[in-house]
Amino acid sequence: MSKFKNGFFLFFIFLILYLPIFYLVYYSFSSGNNIAKFENFSWQHYLNLFADRRLIGIVLNTILIALISATIATTIGTFGAIYLNDLTRPWAKNLTLTLNNILIVSPDVIIGASFLILYSAIKLHLGFWSVLISHIAFSVPIVVLMVLPKLKELTHSYIDAAYDLGASSQQVLTRVILPFISSGIFSGFFMALTYSLDDFAVTFFVTGNGFSTLSVEIYAMARRGISLEINALTGIIFFVISIAMVFYYFVLQRNKKQKRIN
Amino acid sequence: MTGKTIVELKNINVIIDDLQILKNISFELETGKFYTMLGPSGSGKTTILKVIAGFSQPTSGEVFFNGKKINQLPPNKRKINTIFQDYALFPNLNLFENVAFGLRLQHKHNSEISDRVSQILDLVQLNGLEKRSVEELSGGQRQRVAIARSLVLNPKMLLLDEPLSALDAKLRKKMQYELRNLQQRLGITFLFITHDQEEALAMSDFIFVINNGEILQSGTPVDIYDEPINHFVADFIGQSNIIDGTMVRDFVVKFVGKTFECSDAGMRHNEPVEVVLRPEDLDITEVKKGKLTVKVKSQIFRGDYYEIIAYDEDHNKWLIQSTNPVKDGAIVGINFDPEDIHVMRFGEKEQEFDARLETYED
Repeated sequence: MSKFKNGFFLFFIFLILYLPIFYLVYYSFSSGNNIAKFENFSWQHYLNLFADRRLIGIVLNTILIALISATIATTIGTFGAIYLNDLTRPWAKNLTLTLNNILIVSPDVIIGASFLILYSAIKLHLGFWSVLISHIAFSVPIVVLMVLPKLKELTHSYIDAAYDLGASSQQVLTRVILPFISSGIFSGFFMALTYSLDDFAVTFFVTGNGFSTLSVEIYAMARRGISLEINALTGIIFFVISIAMVFYYFVLQRNKKQKRIN
Repeated sequence: MTGKTIVELKNINVIIDDLQILKNISFELETGKFYTMLGPSGSGKTTILKVIAGFSQPTSGEVFFNGKKINQLPPNKRKINTIFQDYALFPNLNLFENVAFGLRLQHKHNSEISDRVSQILDLVQLNGLEKRSVEELSGGQRQRVAIARSLVLNPKMLLLDEPLSALDAKLRKKMQYELRNLQQRLGITFLFITHDQEEALAMSDFIFVINNGEILQSGTPVDIYDEPINHFVADFIGQSNIIDGTMVRDFVVKFVGKTFECSDAGMRHNEPVEVVLRPEDLDITEVKKGKLTVKVKSQIFRGDYYEIIAYDEDHNKWLIQSTNPVKDGAIVGINFDPEDIHVMRFGEKEQEFDARLETYED
């Protein structure tokens, strides 16, 4: 009985979360210009979208910013986590970890505004670079937080054993530490990627000179008046993410199976 | 001692956070012998291993390997390998790659690596399991992988940090034989760390008993068992009856109000001492024939013997091993030979103890 109740509850939650998305996507196929009434089925909004060079440029910018910032943030964050984990004095460790966590919980608006002040002070032109630096900055603490638990699992005897077998400190890093924490590094990278693709507030503050990312652009389009092009864009993003998730699921399954065979 | 010295520790002190972990440790290890560092947890035995392996720096003192001082040599440059308590097998590598780890670091050719790995896997009887992930191995197999991983590098010496403590009793016994066997066949020096006195007695050529960062006594298993230097060693190694007494004069000791002939000497007249009698050296007999009279309190069947707990008139507890059972509450005599009595002085150091033995033993 309670199983049934739980199932119903879950279904209800999913309904509330997915219904607006489906509603949005549904109207992207309408030939009309608003969501008051579904007129005829049409690909018109999708065609408009693909003809919109500026918008496609923005999508590419967004992906580029996400990939570059996630890569750099993962590198910095991984080594930061290793450094943090190696701190021997408890107060130094706790202080660093707290400073890291404050950046994660502090509101994006504050981070965005403070970056804006910083860039004005050092006279950095707002645009690609200011957005990239900001995205790296807010992603690093997330990566640190994702990598740290894996490092905690890495007992010191693994490292001692590697030294004992003749490894240099560089070989200990590349052959023992990095492989061991690789799953943490990957989840950190994907989290950073998601946060970057997702971010509106910080980007909104630090972008300028015509440089824009998707979330900022959608916000601007929505303010100018609802265009069903947004719906079409939402549909495509939703579709791509769904495919990616299914793909991710199969990769995960295959890895599990392979582990069992070996 | 005759063999060639491979490792020497000279006046090693280790102080961490104002805590003295090791106090002036000095000893020499010879090639091809099986040494055991025996002590309770927290005694500093693992720290000695870390100092030899290079994971810990001594606060003062010198470490020599083949006559050369190696204090500054990092662990990856020392021809000594360690078997860790948790084995520390790399989970991202399969059995073969774990064993090949050290050879890969040396950039050996693939053919040489596979030759040497398969040779060593033959030795530890793990061939055929090369592709297994380490998670799929049993405790005993992991242990052998850890040993193979070290041996493949042809170390001059192997340090083993309580490697048997994670195994069940039966497997532990089996691995004791295997380790001893392996050491004898390869002829390399083993330094084995354990808190298990039975393990130490069974496997070692030479034992160091350590407590509170000090070596209390060192010697062959027989020496240490038969002639423990003090209360701690007597109590820690094997079971024992330890009773307060007085050394009347050379070869005569008094305890439980009676005087007995013994085989110890070299002490002051009427010096207060402790007397050790091993439970297996005590024989139960009739009251008339016994040197002491005790009342049986309880007994436990241990398989190959009965462990009897009895009390004498002075309420001293006596532990006796007997092949035959006795009646609970029975009053019996116990008998022992003069050689079974071992007399210990209070606060005697190992050097003084050895020097005293010299004076009356041939």
